[in-house]
Amino acid sequence: MLSPYGLDIIESCLTCKMRAERLFCDLPTSALQAFESIKYATAYPKGAVLFVEGQAPRGIFVLCKGRVKLSICATDGKTLILKIAEPGEVLGLSATVSGKPYELTAETIDPCQVNFVKRDDFLRFLKDHADACFKVAEQLSEKYNNACHEVRALGLSHSAAEKLAKLLLEWSSRNGEAVKQEPRLKLALTHEEIAQMIGTSRETVTRLFADLKKRQIVQAKGSTLVIRNKQALKAMATNG
Amino acid sequence: MESTINHSCVDCVLRPDRLFCDLPPGALQAFDSIKSLAAVARGTVLFREGQLARSVCVLCEGRVRLSVSSESGKHLTLRIAVPGEALGLSAALCDRAHEVTAEALEDLQVAVVRRKDLLRFLHEHPEACLQVVNLLSQDLHVAYDRVRSVGLGRTRRPRDVTV
Repeated sequence: MLSPYGLDIIESCLTCKMRAERLFCDLPTSALQAFESIKYATAYPKGAVLFVEGQAPRGIFVLCKGRVKLSICATDGKTLILKIAEPGEVLGLSATVSGKPYELTAETIDPCQVNFVKRDDFLRFLKDHADACFKVAEQLSEKYNNACHEVRALGLSHSAAEKLAKLLLEWSSRNGEAVKQEPRLKLALTHEEIAQMIGTSRETVTRLFADLKKRQIVQAKGSTLVIRNKQALKAMATNG
Repeated sequence: MESTINHSCVDCVLRPDRLFCDLPPGALQAFDSIKSLAAVARGTVLFREGQLARSVCVLCEGRVRLSVSSESGKHLTLRIAVPGEALGLSAALCDRAHEVTAEALEDLQVAVVRRKDLLRFLHEHPEACLQVVNLLSQDLHVAYDRVRSVGLGRTRRPRDVTV
């Protein structure tokens, strides 16, 4: 049956084939059964907002399929994208644990399947299942690591060129592309969104890309970007 | 260095006010048996960004500056850690390099726990694991605040960069 948004919904965590590869989901059977009884499997279209920065925490969202954009906003409306969350990640975790408002806004950029768990249920689940609690600690550590990385990238980079070069190198190091002479990466974000990831304007990102293409450091093939001169990009990332 | 801190966590009067240390008696005794106390002089670097995390330091006394640095050697302070915090926790849990540098701003007393002892302790004492989850959540809130102030501040350049 064709499901809404073209998503093949996984109803039960117990029979999910992708579980073993997912950071949070690879739980022992007893914990998984308990999780199964408290979660709500939901589907969202592209562009749906799961939660908003400043909102009281309702619970956690385990991302099963699709990608979610995590961003923070300034009072003047300026947006900074912190991360694009991938399947297996738990969203809204620290706010749900601490009871403080969500510190980020989560918006889907693909049609997504998300397992939602209410805050009270989740806190009880953590108390009862030490293995799950440990996995949550690991996830929080990863997020902390990412936040520190973000502070470093935003606070200690000289120029937008340096930040963009770093971002492209980071993206190109995924999916086994890092070892290749000319790594390829799929540009899933618009120039506007890339600008929001490195804290600059859309115009600057467009100008930087034009410059990179002119100097034949990168080459665009549709939405795929080929890094032709990795050394030059690395030099940009360290010298700005 | 003269210290007001007890050698045993079980007898420590400051414990109820401390984030990490307020554990039930069973967990506390287990923690007491795996920790070793160390006095650290002001200015000492407890661990550096990029070093593999072999242990976690629970801060008993004194303050510690946590900072990130760039390849060119510039530093940006992330926050100042106060007693009751566990330093190096996230790197130790993920078995990866420290993401920050920790430098003693004052003379310190710390309780050092080796990584593998800590992991065993957390597996055996779920209440301590829950405490760690709480601690990490708070650290994350502070880190996101820092991202906000650095990334969305009015000036393009960071204001508190020290070379």
